Amino acid sequence: MTGRIAAIMLGCALLAATAIAKEHPGKEQILKDGYQGPKTCEACHPGKAREFLGTVHWKHASKVDHVDNLNPDEEHGMKNRIYTMCNGNDIVNNLKEVPPNALGKTKFTGCNTCHPGDHASDVGSTGPQAEQAIDCLICHSSKYDFSKRKPAKDKNGNVVMTQDRSTEAAANIGRPSIKNCMACHEAAGGGAMIKRGFSMAKDAEVHVTKGIICVDCHQVKNHKFPTGRDPNNWAHDGIYMTCVGECHTSKPHTDADYNKHTEKIACQTCHIPKTGGAFSKDFTKWEKQANGFYEPSTLKREVNETAPVYAWYNLTVSNTPTFIGPKGSRTDGKSKIYPFKIFQGKAYFNKKNGQLLSMDFAPPISNGDSLAGVASAAKILGIKDYEPVPGWQTIYFGSNHQVTPKNKALTCANCHAINGVLNFKELGYASKEIEKLTNPELYFEKLLKLQQENE
Amino acid sequence: MKKISSVIIVFAIILVASFTVIRTASAEEVKITGVISKIEIAADQKSAIAVIKDNKSSESITITITDEATLDKFKDKRILEGDEIRTKFEKDGDKNTSKMFKKTAGC
Repeated sequence: MTGRIAAIMLGCALLAATAIAKEHPGKEQILKDGYQGPKTCEACHPGKAREFLGTVHWKHASKVDHVDNLNPDEEHGMKNRIYTMCNGNDIVNNLKEVPPNALGKTKFTGCNTCHPGDHASDVGSTGPQAEQAIDCLICHSSKYDFSKRKPAKDKNGNVVMTQDRSTEAAANIGRPSIKNCMACHEAAGGGAMIKRGFSMAKDAEVHVTKGIICVDCHQVKNHKFPTGRDPNNWAHDGIYMTCVGECHTSKPHTDADYNKHTEKIACQTCHIPKTGGAFSKDFTKWEKQANGFYEPSTLKREVNETAPVYAWYNLTVSNTPTFIGPKGSRTDGKSKIYPFKIFQGKAYFNKKNGQLLSMDFAPPISNGDSLAGVASAAKILGIKDYEPVPGWQTIYFGSNHQVTPKNKALTCANCHAINGVLNFKELGYASKEIEKLTNPELYFEKLLKLQQENE
Repeated sequence: MKKISSVIIVFAIILVASFTVIRTASAEEVKITGVISKIEIAADQKSAIAVIKDNKSSESITITITDEATLDKFKDKRILEGDEIRTKFEKDGDKNTSKMFKKTAGC
């Protein structure tokens, strides 16, 4: 088994090396003619621009059928969701220039800053203009100059997002690298590694250490990205991924005792023992920064500093105004125990119907007035009948990255010792079962042998 | 004679060890947030220095960066002069070596 995994790893590494070494065909043509945006790409890849407009990366939404209290006929995602990691969304926090702060300074900000268009063609836009607005190179170029991608006002005063459409960037294209993905995914939620709190550095994630990049696991088909089943990541391209597949089997360990666990314990539970990033935010209290702008007050930890919580998860999601998290139980026959990064956010709820209210960040960024942000968002969304009251929401984020080397994964005593990481009572076990599950008889001989081998 | 040599060697080891301990103990970890006023990548591309104006003290502090991920962000201009960053660095005498270097901004 180890040999097979090693062979697959070697294969991946060789493929990656080949991909890096191999020059994308057409480079000479691009160098000769220059880059004219997606139409240059379409000369060899016809239909790809239109295809991309149908994906979550462009629409920031999709139909969602695994989450409670959503209309399955409508599309949901960061385009329109309201939750307390990002109390706004692409609609209320559409990229704009915020009002001047007390120092007279202004800046551009918005949730759709990472949208791979030019803002004139924005989230979910369609048609020939949208097709030509796609920033293909931000994902596909290894020489993208990020200083050229910035919000600015055009001659009509509209806010647009500029792009690097240089010949140099276009001449250096290929599969997206980790850098291409993390340019956007690292800074979500208000800063580097704030939202999900994982790093894709070589020393932080064992797959990266072995030369595997994001798109080796998220194997893209026609610009559609397979994703995992994070309870807080709703929009999807209709394809899902798990660890079990090309690289790992459902019985991946040489130790039969470990393999017995895979039926009820997700791989992540033992192999992703830590998480990090923000664990709490208060959108009702904005803190003044040295530059005169305000930010929501945030409690955060570094990558690998937070212990996850563990819960049964059957891949469906409970969604109420105060809780977003996994559904499941030990008896439903579908659930496994997964690790989650737990987050609690404070924002305003509508006293009249109990629903979480959204916030336009432009007013509070400029002057710290969070209620002005709620009023602006309500106006944008056409909500007239509301009374804001502060309250907390708890969110379970999937912990699916930053896989640790196997010698640092959780082992028997990490869970089965009395002070282990799993709260068996919370997980639905009776006292007598817990006595058995935490009896050293279960693991003593095995761990003693291991200890002797390592001494 | 042998005994004297042994004593000298042991003494030298203790001396070197003491200096190492003192040096390690004198290295202090500092965290600051501020705006980058200058980025200079070394000719061999293996290190860079960044000058940060500390938001709290307004002091300009020069930090040496050697980690690959941050150097890459300097090279492709994901981090630019004028960006506000949060950094943790080890202060050892006159040299400040970055242990963490992140932009504060996000979406």
